[in-house]
Amino acid sequence: MAKINPSFGKELKKYGAINFNACYNCGNCTAVCSLSTEDVSFPREMVRVSTLGLEDEIQSSLKPWECYYCGECSTHCPQEANPGELMMSLRRYLTAKYDWTGLSGLMYKSLPLTISAFVLSLIGVLYFAFSVNFDLEKMVHWGHLFEMIAIGTVGFVILLPNVARMWWLTILKPGTKVPFKKYVSSIGELIVHMFTQKRALGCDDNQLRWFEHFIMVIGYLSLLFTTVFLNWFSSEYLIVTLFGYLVSTIVFVVTFDFVLSRIKKKKQISKHSQPSDWFFVIWLFLMGLSAFMVRLFIDLDLLESNKWLYLVHLTVLVQWALIIVPFGKWTHFLYRSFAMYFAKLKA
Amino acid sequence: MKKKKIGVYICHCGGNISDYVDVEKVRQAVEGEDIVFLAKTTMFACSDANQREMVNDIEANGLTSVVVASCSPKLHLLTFRNVSQRANLNKYTYVHANIREQASWAHSDNKIGATEKAIHLVKAAIAKANYAEALESNKVKAQKSVAIIGAGVAGMKAAISLSNKDCEVILIEKEPFVGGRVAQWNSLSTTTETGKEIVKRLYDDLITRDNITICTNSEVISNKGSVGNFTLKIKTTPRYIRQSFHPEDLTRAIEVCPVSVPDEFNFRLTQRKAIYKNYPGEYPQTPVIDIKNCTRCGACEKVCPAVDFNEKEEITEITVGSVLMATGFDPYTPGYGEFGYATSENVITLPQFKRLIDEQSGTLVYKGKVIKNIAYIYCVGSRQTKGDNTYCSRNCCTSTIHAAVTAKSKFPDINNFHFNRGLRTYGKQEILYADSLRSGDIYLQSYEDGLPTVTIEGNKTIVKINDILTNGKEIEVEADLVVLVTGMVPRADNKVGTLFKLPKGRDKFYNEIHMKLRPVETVIDGVTIAGACQGPKNIAESVNSALSAATKSYSIISKGELESEPLVAIIDQDKCTWCGACEKACPFDAILKVEDKGKIVAEINNSVCKGCGMCAPVCEPDAINVTACSSTEIMSMIDTLV
Ligand SMILES: Cc1cc2nc3c(=O)[nH]c(=O)nc-3n(C[C@H](O)[C@H](O)[C@H](O)COP(=O)(O)OP(=O)(O)OC[C@H]3O[C@@H](n4cnc5c(N)ncnc54)[C@H](O)[C@@H]3O)c2cc1C
Ligand code: SF4
Ligand code: SF4
Repeated sequence: MAKINPSFGKELKKYGAINFNACYNCGNCTAVCSLSTEDVSFPREMVRVSTLGLEDEIQSSLKPWECYYCGECSTHCPQEANPGELMMSLRRYLTAKYDWTGLSGLMYKSLPLTISAFVLSLIGVLYFAFSVNFDLEKMVHWGHLFEMIAIGTVGFVILLPNVARMWWLTILKPGTKVPFKKYVSSIGELIVHMFTQKRALGCDDNQLRWFEHFIMVIGYLSLLFTTVFLNWFSSEYLIVTLFGYLVSTIVFVVTFDFVLSRIKKKKQISKHSQPSDWFFVIWLFLMGLSAFMVRLFIDLDLLESNKWLYLVHLTVLVQWALIIVPFGKWTHFLYRSFAMYFAKLKA
Repeated sequence: MKKKKIGVYICHCGGNISDYVDVEKVRQAVEGEDIVFLAKTTMFACSDANQREMVNDIEANGLTSVVVASCSPKLHLLTFRNVSQRANLNKYTYVHANIREQASWAHSDNKIGATEKAIHLVKAAIAKANYAEALESNKVKAQKSVAIIGAGVAGMKAAISLSNKDCEVILIEKEPFVGGRVAQWNSLSTTTETGKEIVKRLYDDLITRDNITICTNSEVISNKGSVGNFTLKIKTTPRYIRQSFHPEDLTRAIEVCPVSVPDEFNFRLTQRKAIYKNYPGEYPQTPVIDIKNCTRCGACEKVCPAVDFNEKEEITEITVGSVLMATGFDPYTPGYGEFGYATSENVITLPQFKRLIDEQSGTLVYKGKVIKNIAYIYCVGSRQTKGDNTYCSRNCCTSTIHAAVTAKSKFPDINNFHFNRGLRTYGKQEILYADSLRSGDIYLQSYEDGLPTVTIEGNKTIVKINDILTNGKEIEVEADLVVLVTGMVPRADNKVGTLFKLPKGRDKFYNEIHMKLRPVETVIDGVTIAGACQGPKNIAESVNSALSAATKSYSIISKGELESEPLVAIIDQDKCTWCGACEKACPFDAILKVEDKGKIVAEINNSVCKGCGMCAPVCEPDAINVTACSSTEIMSMIDTLV
């Protein structure tokens, strides 16, 4: 037995859904979707449960994560109900629901709140710089330390509990029984999807976008590794230095293309950008670029006279690590791969 | 008898015939016959070129008769009769052979057999042509006037159309006011005009026309005669109020009337007085006293001098050439307990709901309760699997969505839930459906075997459905108001239909001869049908059919004279002994019992007889012959065939 909640539509619109209640259930979207299968059929089903506002159904569903948004469904929808964008907004909604702090939801729904958080981080960085008298060495040292602490804290305090909540909502709560052995034997699924996003290749004509995304992820993870664990900014090794240059370049070049396509709005996927999408791509771009510039200025011995550059980099980094990673779009990296893992468990 | 010279034309029908029947072989088989003067094959017998060639052949060779072997006579009998006429041959000498439906299409699996059968059919037609006689059409004088029964949109529109031609129109309306159902609807789907505005516009037009007589409060009580000359008796009930009156006096009179009866105009949602008017702008403007419910207390008479209880019922007799039936429909009344009807006070019908939202503003309140959730249950009384009404009422989906959208714009706090069985918002009505979806209306769907249920739990009304759009999941809505989307049914009062012996279809609405080929004619010659009395229709469809029926009715009588087929039964009154068997056999009431030279005999009403031949075989003394199907003709055909 399910009760309809007609006001759910209004809630979902705050997460970016547009006009999905215009759907008249023709099923064209599901028919053209190259990832939908007979057993796991979408997006019409998700449009339907959203229209009726069956929140339990939505929260226990992994389908939103199984969509990789090629946008074919929206192109073919005769009612312009934007099923693709609905799936996207469901991912935002789910991200908010998985987050135990509730901050994700607040930030998705309120741009002023998000901006305040960014401003606050900026003030924090400036305060810190004052307190160390703009001493470059100290700033770089503490900056590096901050990165390590932030990764650990965000990972253990926010992300891990959220993934556990996702597991509870999608597996435990609906009463799916999974033997422990299956958890172990399916772990490969998690690793493969996390590092390759290979499911995105299932979308028609998606090779280029998949490749860009793939090298961007590898580039990003490597940059993280180089700066945090190899301490790129202070490293003496040529090989580390060059590697750092390479991966940061990859990050800002690819994200530049992503930003550009969101501005051009040519492809279905980049037609409707929410603030969270803009922050994600722009900050990733700024991260890659500012890291590249900082190291370049170090190598050219210019940083001492251009401390502001490091401050810019640090601000971007802090905002990224404290806002976008735990409460913004970054989490899709985790939820997508865990969704594939959980789907395997459920199958 | 002069020897006949017959021309035979065998058609390929572009391959429809010649792919299976060897038409050349057919030609050779008949060419040698004694009376056949020429035999030709042709790609398309009906083409202009071939028709011209036929005319030339007839005129140049002095042919006495023509046979075309082609498709069904339903399609082209008239075409080739006209060809004969154009070549100055009597058109009834033409004989048709159907070798498409009866040979090539029927025997596409056996080409040799099909060819053989075609040869037989053509030879039989030639045999008939040998005896075919020149005949003259029957002529009857026709009244150039039309009686229209029912002054709904269909009737009014038909009246205007007929009045544009030179034709007298008598518009007969049973109710005291014109407009039919449309006067009851305020806002309408697919038009910005309200129902009342449409009625006013039509009425304003009607009364400016000299050749239209409007009789309200009137009913046809008897009908005699036939096409061209129907004699009708009309009974007019008085209004008991004189034409000239003081509006204030009348308002007072309505106020003081002590009687209170359920108001049918508002589908019994409210009460009205015995002296009443349905709405201020109603036509005709004079109110009426409902004498059946009036107690004759005289209260109104005292305050309004225009009240006149001495007015008398009138019977008028008119003769018209044609009758146009536009008596409309009734909304379906749900059975006791059907989806909670009459057993729950939160359940009403769509017409009631339309009146309800028309009457209110601000917040929607029903029986003192503020309404938030409205559940519409579709197809109530239509598309039944258990009852007789298997048809779809066509307009209710659109009307409901329109009512829901209107309600939502008037009362923004409501939620609309549509429990449907697949929507039929055809054509531009689809836009309305899209609007409704965008405004947040929710649609739930089932098949006929999983209809929604309405249960009453305390003071809550719960509607449940296994929604096929959500994988058959059981979904429930707590509804403050349940609106049953009742469809259209034929008028409960069918006295007038019985009077004219109008046939009904499976849906029990009046039936046309052929849905596509003769959509407004009935088998009763001279009686046409229009609007929703023929089956569920919206206004545009009703008006279309009204214009079509008006044109048809006019075309029957426009010449002031009727020409009817001479193919009728003929009674040999010497042989006739009046046993009455033929009268019973005739499906068209064409047989009259008359006295001739001191003897009771049968007589044929030529303008009604269709020459179907049902009477001939039942006549014991063999006193009946059917023109163009004389025993000689039929026997000669049989001889050729066997
Ligand atoms: C709830 C509802 C909502 C609707 N909404 C719309 C809409 O929004 N848009 C739209 O296009 N259509 C709508 N329709 C359809 C519309 O009402 C019909 O198409 C229209 O009324 C048909 O007109 P009519 O003249 O054929 O019949 P009617 O309107 O039924 O008129 C027939 C007339 O004949 C009279 N009559 C009956 N019997 C006799 C008799 N024996 N002698 C003399 N007179 C007689 C009646 O009193 C009546 O005045 C709706 C229908 C319903 C039920
Ligand atoms: S294509 Fe559009 S209208 Fe059709 S089911 Fe999908 S979302 Fe609904
Ligand atoms: S028009 Fe719609 S509600 Fe009416 S009978 Fe047909 S399908 Fe049912």
